[in-house]
Amino acid sequence: MKGQQKELKGIFWILFAVFLVFLLIPFCLLFGKSFWDDGITGTFYHSVLQQKDFFTALCNSFQVAAAAAATATVLAFLVAYAVHYTLLPSRFKGFLRFVATLPMFLPTITYGFAIIYSFGKQGLLTRILGRQFFDLYGFWGLFLGYVIYTIPVAFLLLHNTMKFVDKKTFLVSKTMGDRAISTFWVAVVRPLLGTFAGAFIQAFFLSFTDFGIPASVGGNYDVIATMLYNQMLGGIPDFHRGAVIAICMLIPSVVSILLLQLLERWNIRYQKISQVELSKNRVRDLGWGLAGLAVAVFLLSVFAVIFVVPFVEEWPYRTGFSLEHVMEVGSDSELLQVYVHSLLLAAATAFFGTWLSYGAALITARSTLGARYKKVVESLALMTNAIPGMVLGVAYLFAFSGTSLQNTFLLMMLCNIVHYFSTPYLMMKNALSKLNAGWETTAMLMGDSWTKTIFRVVTPNALPSLLEVFSYYFINAMVTISALIFIAGARTMVLTTMMKQLQYVNRFHEVFVLSLLILATNLAVKAGLSLLAKHRWNHKKEKREKGRDFV
Amino acid sequence: MLRKVCGAQERKESFHVLELKGIHKSFDGVPVLKNICLNIEEGEIVSILGPSGCGKTTLLHLILGMVEADAGTITYQGEDITHMPMEKRGFNIVFQDYALFPHLNVYKNITYGLKNKPHISTQAEVEELIDLLGLRDHLKKRIDQLSGGQKQRVALARTMVMKPKILLLDEPLSALDGVIKESIKDRIKTIAREYHLTTIIVTHDPEEALTLSDRVLIINQGTISQYAKPEEIVHQPNNDFVRKFILRQLEIKRKNIYALFGEGSRFALEAGGVLTV
Repeated sequence: MKGQQKELKGIFWILFAVFLVFLLIPFCLLFGKSFWDDGITGTFYHSVLQQKDFFTALCNSFQVAAAAAATATVLAFLVAYAVHYTLLPSRFKGFLRFVATLPMFLPTITYGFAIIYSFGKQGLLTRILGRQFFDLYGFWGLFLGYVIYTIPVAFLLLHNTMKFVDKKTFLVSKTMGDRAISTFWVAVVRPLLGTFAGAFIQAFFLSFTDFGIPASVGGNYDVIATMLYNQMLGGIPDFHRGAVIAICMLIPSVVSILLLQLLERWNIRYQKISQVELSKNRVRDLGWGLAGLAVAVFLLSVFAVIFVVPFVEEWPYRTGFSLEHVMEVGSDSELLQVYVHSLLLAAATAFFGTWLSYGAALITARSTLGARYKKVVESLALMTNAIPGMVLGVAYLFAFSGTSLQNTFLLMMLCNIVHYFSTPYLMMKNALSKLNAGWETTAMLMGDSWTKTIFRVVTPNALPSLLEVFSYYFINAMVTISALIFIAGARTMVLTTMMKQLQYVNRFHEVFVLSLLILATNLAVKAGLSLLAKHRWNHKKEKREKGRDFV
Repeated sequence: MLRKVCGAQERKESFHVLELKGIHKSFDGVPVLKNICLNIEEGEIVSILGPSGCGKTTLLHLILGMVEADAGTITYQGEDITHMPMEKRGFNIVFQDYALFPHLNVYKNITYGLKNKPHISTQAEVEELIDLLGLRDHLKKRIDQLSGGQKQRVALARTMVMKPKILLLDEPLSALDGVIKESIKDRIKTIAREYHLTTIIVTHDPEEALTLSDRVLIINQGTISQYAKPEEIVHQPNNDFVRKFILRQLEIKRKNIYALFGEGSRFALEAGGVLTV
C-alpha cells in the first residue's frame, strides 16, 4: 500500500496549495482589512454598526430571506409529495420535477428582470390579470425572486429524502387504526422534519447571500448584499467598511452551515429506496396533482416573459412577433464574444473543478492516508460551503488587485472552482465510497500500480458521477454572478456580469435573449452529458455482446 | 520473549510452507490477535473458524500483507516475509463481496491480470480454468447479470489466473444459498487438489469449516482455541469453547435433521458418519 501514499500525498498538497492561495489567504486579508489600519482598530466596525441604514438592511435581509425560505420549502413540499405519494401519471411527475428544478438553469439576475416584466405596471401578468398586485420594487419583488431561486434546492432535498423514507410506515400506521391526520404526521412529516429544517436553512442561506435578485428588483429596499456591492463598487468605495459588511454577511452563513452539520446527525438514514404499491385514490391524486400544478404554473408564468419578450417587436407597446432582437444579439460581436467567454469559463471550471473534487474525494473515500489529511480536506470543503460568493469575491478583490491575476480568466475560474467546491466534492465522495472497497487490493494483486488501478478500474466506474459533477460545475459557472461581479474586468466579461451592464442602459431585450441563451446552453449540456453517460454504458454493453472474437 | 509459547503443540517433521510465529496485532490499543503461532503445510486446505470479531479476517489480511503485524514473524518456504509488501508476496485473495470490476465483462475480469503479466498463464490454462469453473457460457455477460455463485466462480477464476502461491478466501460461501453452496464447496476442493494449492479459508460456519478443509483453526478472542483435523475437533475438543460454540451448533443441526427424517434414517446417517467423511 506504500505506492498509493506518494501519489495521494501529491494530490493532497496540490489541493492544499490551491485552497491556501485562493481561499485561506484572501479570507485572512479580508478579515485583516476589517480591523486593521496601521494597527488594530475597531473604528470600521463601530462606524458600520452605528449606521442606521446598516441595521435596516440587515433586518430586511433576515426578514425577506426567512419568509422566502419558508414559502419555498412549503411549495417544494407540495411538488415533492405529488411526485412520491400519488399515482399520478409518470409523465406528469416528470413535468413537475423538470419545472421545479428549472430555475437552477438561469442566473438569479434573470428572475429579477422576469419579475419586473411580469408584475410591473406594463408586465405580462399585470396585463393578463388586469391589475398590479403589489409594488414589486422592494420586499415583494425580492420575496418572489428568492422563492423562485430556492424552490429547486428545497425540492431536491425533500425529493431525495422522500425516496428513502420507508413508505411501509404509511401502511403500518393505517392498519393500526390511525386517523388520516395522524398517519400524515407519523409517516410523512415526522421522518422529513430534519430535511424540512435543512431545506429551510439552505434556502435562507442562498437568499441571504444572493446578489442577482436585489440587483434587479431591490429598488430602495436595501439588503445586505446591495449594501456590500455599493460599499465596494459604488460611488464612494470604502474597502474597510466593505470588509466589515462582508464579515457581517459571513457570520449568519457560517451559523447556517453549522446548523446544517448538526441537523445531519438528526437525519434518519435509510439504506434502501423503499417502494410500496400505493392504494388507488382519485381524490388524493387530484388534490395533490392540482397543488403541484399550481406551483408549476406559478414558476412558468413568471418565466413565460423570458420566452415572450425576445420575440416581440417592442414590449409592451408593439407586441407583434419579431426576430429583430435575436438578430441584434446575433450580429453584436461584443455580445457574442461574451457568450464565448462564458462558455470557455464554464467548460474550464467544470474540467478542472471535476478533477480537483475527484482527487479530494479519492483522499477521503479511498485511501489509507492519515486521519489528519482527511480532516483537512473535509474542513476545506466545509469552508467553501459556508463562504458566500460575494464574500469570496470581495476577498479576491483584496488579495489579487495589482497582481497579474487581476481580472483574468484564470482567477475567475479558480474562484468558481473554490466557490462551488463543496457539493461536487460530496457527490464524488459519496459515489466513491459506494464502490467496492476491495478493488484497489485486488487490482494491486493483479500487478496494477495505484495510479493504474485508478485509471483502469475506479475512474471508469465513477464515470457517471464524474459527468454529473462536470455538469454541476458547468451550470453553476454559467449562472453565477455574486463573486464574479467583483473580479470580472471589462475584457473578461461573462454573460451574467454583462446583463448587469445592459441593465444600466435599459437594453432589457438583450438581457432576455442572453438569458434564453444561457438556459438553452445549460439544458443542452445537461442533456448531452446524461446522454453521454448512458451512451457509454450502452456502447460498452454492445461491445460486450459482440466481444471476445479473439479467443 | 513471546516465542516460548510457540511450537509446544506442533513439531512434526513435515514441510511447512507457511509459518506464523508469535503474531500480535492491535487496533487503536485493542488487541485483536494475541501470540498466534501456526504452521500450514503445502497443498493443505485450512479453515479459520470463529465467531464474528474474533480476529479471523485480520489474520487473513495479515497473511495477505494488507496489514502489518505489531510483533511476530511470517515465513514462506523458510523465507521471512513479515515486512514484504503485499504485491510481492505472490498470494492472492477472493473477497467476500468478490470485488469484481462491473465495467468489464466476465472474460475481461478473468484475464485482468494478464495485461500486467502476460505470461503468467497461457491461453490454454485460462481456457482450462474457465471450463473447470463452468464459466464457458457466461464469458460475455456483464457482472450485474450474474448470480452470486457465478460471481464467486468468476472471482475465483480471476485469482487463479495469477497462479497464487497461496489462495485466500474470505467467507466464500456466506453469501450463497443451499445447493449452490455445496457446488462451490466442491469447486474449491477440486481447485485445491488439481493445482496442489495451499488454500486458507475464513468462515464463521462450523459445518462449512469441518466439511471443507484438511485442518481447522478455531480462534476465540484473538487466540487459537484449537488447531486440528476435523475429526479430532469433533471427537477430542480441546476446551469448553470448542465444545459449546462449535460442536453444540452441529449437534443441534443433527438433531433437527434426524427429527425431520424420522428414526428410520437415523441409523443410516449414523452408519455413514455424517461429520467424519
